[in-house]
Amino acid sequence: MTDTPFSVTAAGAPPKGGRASLARRVLPYAMLSPAVLVTLAIVFLPMAQAAWMSLHDYLLWKPSGFAFVGLKNFAAALSDEVFWISLKNTAIWIGLTVPAQMLLGLVTALLLNQKFPWRPVARALIIIPWALPSVVIALMWVWIYDANYGVLNEFLLRMDILKSSIPWLADPDTALYAIILTLTWQGFPFFAVMILAGLQSIPRSYYEAASIDGASAWRQFWHITLPGISGVLVTAVLLRTIWVANSIDVIFVMTGGGPGYATYTLPLYAFVKSRTNLDFGYGSALAVMFTIMLLGFVILYLKRAGKAVN
Amino acid sequence: MKRTILAAALAAGTILGAGSALADETVRFWYHFDNADNPMSALVEKFEEENPGIRIEAENIPWNSYYDNLYTSIVAGNAPDAAMVKMFAQPRLLEMGALEPVGEMVEAWEGKDDLLDNLLNLTRASDGNTYYLPIQYVVLYLYYRQDMLDELGLDVPGTCDEFRDVAMKLTRDTDGDGQPDVYGFGFRGGKGGHDHWGSFVLSRDVSFEPGGMLTEEAIAGTQFVVDLFREDKVFPPSAPNDGFKEVIGAFQAGKTAMTIHHIGSSADMVEALGDKVSATTVPECGGGRWTAFGDESTAILSSAQNKEAAWKWISFLSSAGNNALFNEATGQLPVTRTDSGSWTLHEKRFVDATVNSLPFAELLPNVPETSDFVNTVWPVNMQRALTGEITAREMNQAIDALYNP
Repeated sequence: MTDTPFSVTAAGAPPKGGRASLARRVLPYAMLSPAVLVTLAIVFLPMAQAAWMSLHDYLLWKPSGFAFVGLKNFAAALSDEVFWISLKNTAIWIGLTVPAQMLLGLVTALLLNQKFPWRPVARALIIIPWALPSVVIALMWVWIYDANYGVLNEFLLRMDILKSSIPWLADPDTALYAIILTLTWQGFPFFAVMILAGLQSIPRSYYEAASIDGASAWRQFWHITLPGISGVLVTAVLLRTIWVANSIDVIFVMTGGGPGYATYTLPLYAFVKSRTNLDFGYGSALAVMFTIMLLGFVILYLKRAGKAVN
Repeated sequence: MKRTILAAALAAGTILGAGSALADETVRFWYHFDNADNPMSALVEKFEEENPGIRIEAENIPWNSYYDNLYTSIVAGNAPDAAMVKMFAQPRLLEMGALEPVGEMVEAWEGKDDLLDNLLNLTRASDGNTYYLPIQYVVLYLYYRQDMLDELGLDVPGTCDEFRDVAMKLTRDTDGDGQPDVYGFGFRGGKGGHDHWGSFVLSRDVSFEPGGMLTEEAIAGTQFVVDLFREDKVFPPSAPNDGFKEVIGAFQAGKTAMTIHHIGSSADMVEALGDKVSATTVPECGGGRWTAFGDESTAILSSAQNKEAAWKWISFLSSAGNNALFNEATGQLPVTRTDSGSWTLHEKRFVDATVNSLPFAELLPNVPETSDFVNTVWPVNMQRALTGEITAREMNQAIDALYNP
């Protein structure tokens, strides 16, 4: 890209080092600077502020007690029972939700890639869970899970699978998994759409050649389909892992973290500490720790995104 | 740095209105109403007619984020001149130096003697000063289904033992499918349920002082609540997560036969259930009674530009006639003798239950820890106790540790 102006100059345009050349060099920075400034102001400045606050005792209602405490908040987190409960829940939350969304999305994409009547309608309908606001989905599933009126209990009771209603969201053994199921339902269309796009980029001739060679459907899937969508899968998994990890809206609406700490995840715990307890120092420390934990995924994603741009 | 960022966060939303807000005779007032009807415009109009030269900018802030916004606006230096406030927020507002003492203004105010007994004492700060002017109040009482008690030949429970017995009998499978359809009591295990717990526990001469939560009486109180759910099964299975909406909805739908709330919900109760619903005081437990006093006051912020004008406005709202108009909108009770004497908005049985509860109505400790007790420590530990993760003693230990670190 930098070669072009010089070649133009050499061809007889204004002389090298002139005002026009300077303008060309400055122009990209001038064009980019508003975006960079906005990003700095709304992304990096709050991040730096969170890191700074995490090194302080800072209760919002004690504005005069803002004192530098070094790593005290981080040490306190490591000896905090709720931190470890939240970390464990976060691991389960990410470890089950993302693979479940991916598998369901993969199966859906394979089905939608087949030819059948009303396929465009099916493709449009499958997007609905993804298109609905999280709060609407959370409220809807709270009703589905309701122990008194919920359709899930009613269905299972009628099928004789249950003998009595289960309070899905009020039982610490089931609450987290109930929310994971909700988020799986909400998020699988993202995988389905991404994978469907990947599937359509695989040439039909590969499958025709494999059929002629006598490859079974499973071997075609394993040796053609899977390699064909692997790039899409990796990007989608990385992206979705970061989103799911930071997602607190559905949990907050469905249980608020309860019962007890049963559905606390680290971002939710940081939110409760900061917003409800007004303890911005400790809440920031939790957020910083979680960001560091996620950093590996973020770097992997940025590398892939960089590759795609190149 | 913290001030800079918080100020920047708020500046964008407030800078345009700041010009008029800073005018000498303008009072910025924040309040929160649950209902969509806004009676403030009528009150503002009336006030401005009576007080030419003072303009009121009244802003309804959503309840969910009311205190978040108030605290943040104070830190950012953009607090309103006056605001509706509850007692639990008073210690923190004092710690922030955000409240203006109004004791002298109250003493010199002609409407002072028309305020109901004890309200100024209940809302006095721990430092002995007066910062709040009461504007409305409620007292929690026991709602019950009169028709269900009549059907089973049961009396209204007066003590905890009777309450347990009645709740167990009211918990029934009415359609023969082997599942209870009606539960004796709708317990609020989510945020705000400390008022239910308090009636069963704090009635037993229990305090939040060091060791107060660890007495046998205090632990027996919490154990009583846990047993009602885990052993007697008189709460719906969803009780650990239930909040206001669920508890009131279940009672109105006939899923529960008793619950605890205040006169603010009585109109909806009557609309749903008619004469089938009635109310009485909460039961006597362990030899005493305790119920929550639901307060709402107004205060002048110390940063107010026009404190005299702000006082004129908040005292106007707590004056006879204006206070009635205000409470007709909120569905709660007026704080003046004049308005209380002629009050007809609520049915008599609910007013009676409220008045009969006043002698033992109390507030939670007036200390900064109470906010955390209400918002996190009580709900989280109550839920853990109800689901068997911790014992009643461990729950009380967590409360003791909060108040007495």
